[in-house]
Amino acid sequence: MSGSRHASMDRRTLLVAAAAGALATACATAEGLPSGEVAVLGDSTAWEKPMTAAGAAMKSVAALRLVPEVNPSLESFEQIVRSSLRTDKTPDMLKYWSGYRLQDLARTGGIEDLTGQWDRAAARGWVEPSLREAFTYRRRVYGLPMNLAYWVIFYNPQVFREHGIEAPQTWDGFLGACGRLKKAGITPLHGTAADRWPSFIWFQEILSRQDPRFYQDLMNGRERYTDPRAERALRTIASFFDKDWFTPMDLSHTDAAAALVRGTVGMVACGTWLGSTLAAAGGRPGKNLDAFVLPMADPGARPSVVFESSALVATVKGPDRTEALKATGTWLHPTVMKAFSHTLQDGCPNPKVAPANPVIAGLAEKVRGDRLWLLNRFWEQGPPELVEATVDDLAGFLLNPSSYRETLRTMQDRADDAWQVWREAEET
Amino acid sequence: MTGTATPAHGATKPVRVRRRVPTRTPHQAAKAGGGRLGGPLAALPWALPAFALVGVLLVYPFFRSVYGSLFEDNGFTSSYTGLDNYARLADDPVFGRSVLNTLMWVAGTLLLPVLAGLLIAVATHRMRFGGIAQLIIVLPFAISGAATAVLWNFMLTSDGAVNQVLRGVGLDSWAQTWLLEWPQNTLAMIVASTWQATGLNVVLFAIGLRAIPRETVEAAELDGASGWRMFRHITLPQLRAVTVVVVGMAIVNSLKAFDMIWILTKGGPSRSSETLALSMYRETFRLFHVGYGSAIALVLSAIVVASSWMYLRHQMPDTGTAKS
Repeated sequence: MSGSRHASMDRRTLLVAAAAGALATACATAEGLPSGEVAVLGDSTAWEKPMTAAGAAMKSVAALRLVPEVNPSLESFEQIVRSSLRTDKTPDMLKYWSGYRLQDLARTGGIEDLTGQWDRAAARGWVEPSLREAFTYRRRVYGLPMNLAYWVIFYNPQVFREHGIEAPQTWDGFLGACGRLKKAGITPLHGTAADRWPSFIWFQEILSRQDPRFYQDLMNGRERYTDPRAERALRTIASFFDKDWFTPMDLSHTDAAAALVRGTVGMVACGTWLGSTLAAAGGRPGKNLDAFVLPMADPGARPSVVFESSALVATVKGPDRTEALKATGTWLHPTVMKAFSHTLQDGCPNPKVAPANPVIAGLAEKVRGDRLWLLNRFWEQGPPELVEATVDDLAGFLLNPSSYRETLRTMQDRADDAWQVWREAEET
Repeated sequence: MTGTATPAHGATKPVRVRRRVPTRTPHQAAKAGGGRLGGPLAALPWALPAFALVGVLLVYPFFRSVYGSLFEDNGFTSSYTGLDNYARLADDPVFGRSVLNTLMWVAGTLLLPVLAGLLIAVATHRMRFGGIAQLIIVLPFAISGAATAVLWNFMLTSDGAVNQVLRGVGLDSWAQTWLLEWPQNTLAMIVASTWQATGLNVVLFAIGLRAIPRETVEAAELDGASGWRMFRHITLPQLRAVTVVVVGMAIVNSLKAFDMIWILTKGGPSRSSETLALSMYRETFRLFHVGYGSAIALVLSAIVVASSWMYLRHQMPDTGTAKS
């Protein structure tokens, strides 16, 4: 009997403890990290090490350590950010996108105005000034640049040498290189609709080289997709299909990186962040791996290059708000930036920090030396909802290139609706 | 003779009385509700946790979705729009394609894994090493849907194993861009899903086959039944109960197909391989059309409930309302 009584008491104690625990969890307020530590939520495991390195460097500069938290699923990362921003359970800091995606987030009032931090960094020459627009909403800055990836064409110099091809300096040189690779039995270009988002890559690359001003205006809702200049870009891509220059459209970037190193695919268009994937596939910068900026198709147009830069954002309701704001003040410090970008092996938004990767260092030199116009990537240009839908339209075009007129009409219909919604929201 | 015991007054010795054995019919038990135990409400405290769980996890979200589907909601602001979301469904070509793909999944999943499962179970039943054969076929079922999808991705891409084999044996013209064009992307994924789902059906049918009484089979054999006639008139009717379960599960599984499609095509290219479950996910969580996504979810729920109910009602008339 006594045994069973004890057992029942134990059960009761356990139940009470469990109930108290559940209640405590339910009622708990958000607790941040211990003093001196700030968490940064991101969507990429590849950024975990660089963020830890930056955190360690920041410790020496500002007595603050950045602790990376990663949710590698893009979808659930966005859900967490959007659903938690209005609550006090939101992360302290985020790795987010620049451009319209950042504007969309700033609109909620849930993220901090970092204009002061930007201005102080700019005054010290710690940040590339032309990037400011990509992080601005209503003339205030809401994010600090983390990396600076250029959108370029990767190639294998050994393969090029074998077939007597040089990295093209002109548009005709690029077309010639494609032709020679094709003759040599190498698929000249990687094109893909796998994973959905890459469908925009060639449209972005061709359009920005044919008419960068038009690209910028179209992406910002000032021009129309039904314009002959947009049609010309799609016709150019369709002509590449006619010449059979593209890989199958379901070849992922990881497989394309391996194929480039192996020499079965000639050129891969991507952000310089693909460098780590190429290195993992056996690519050695300068030996069997190099990159060039796609030359301008119209020599009269302003020379340009597409860039991509993630934004470091501080939330208003995060539990360690004060420390997060302090961290943003030193984020662009050369010591922190060097630790971060050298571990990431990507370009750096702080011009005082030279990229560790020689390929990217060469590209950065060219971009700054030739004063190329930095255009933000398709993905960050335009209302997110519009971009999400138009990449599907572009995927449809890649699979049926003769449908370019229909694709552009559909894209314009979407753009009309999306810009109207965006502008209405802007007025409220 | 369980008469009432009357006390024997004045008797010197107590009379042994046969005690009345109280017998209670369920009817009487129900009447005795005023007692401390056994009343109709007595079960309530025990059922409450279950009610609460079902209420919180199922009933509330369902009605919240119904309510949410009447709003134009982008996750931050929402405005009441009545049945607009449902009207939009009718005009949305992607929704139409999703419904069609969902129907293809239902038809495909009913035909392929159920037939293959039945066929394999019957063929390997009583076969020498049949158990081993069944085990091998069951193995894919032990792999998660996500891992299966990654595996099939190696096979179905343009440079994948399937096309390489086809080209290797000289069937170049048969090589296809399996995942890039509709309807072959949906059909290819149904085949991939069949590869995985067949195993469970084999197990269920094998259990059903073993439950067939030996006497029934022997009697049929004495009557001269064998082969196809035995299968058609003895085996198949005896497997009816198992078949009801297998087909019921196949319907529900096909309607909620998600992981395979998400990993192989993400519903693309150009949203061509989306099913209702994927459209709902994409609208709600990628495009933040929460109200519109709720409307799609409700249409899907209605289809799931209606098809399950119709199917079970048709297959199990005995469990319906009892006719007196």
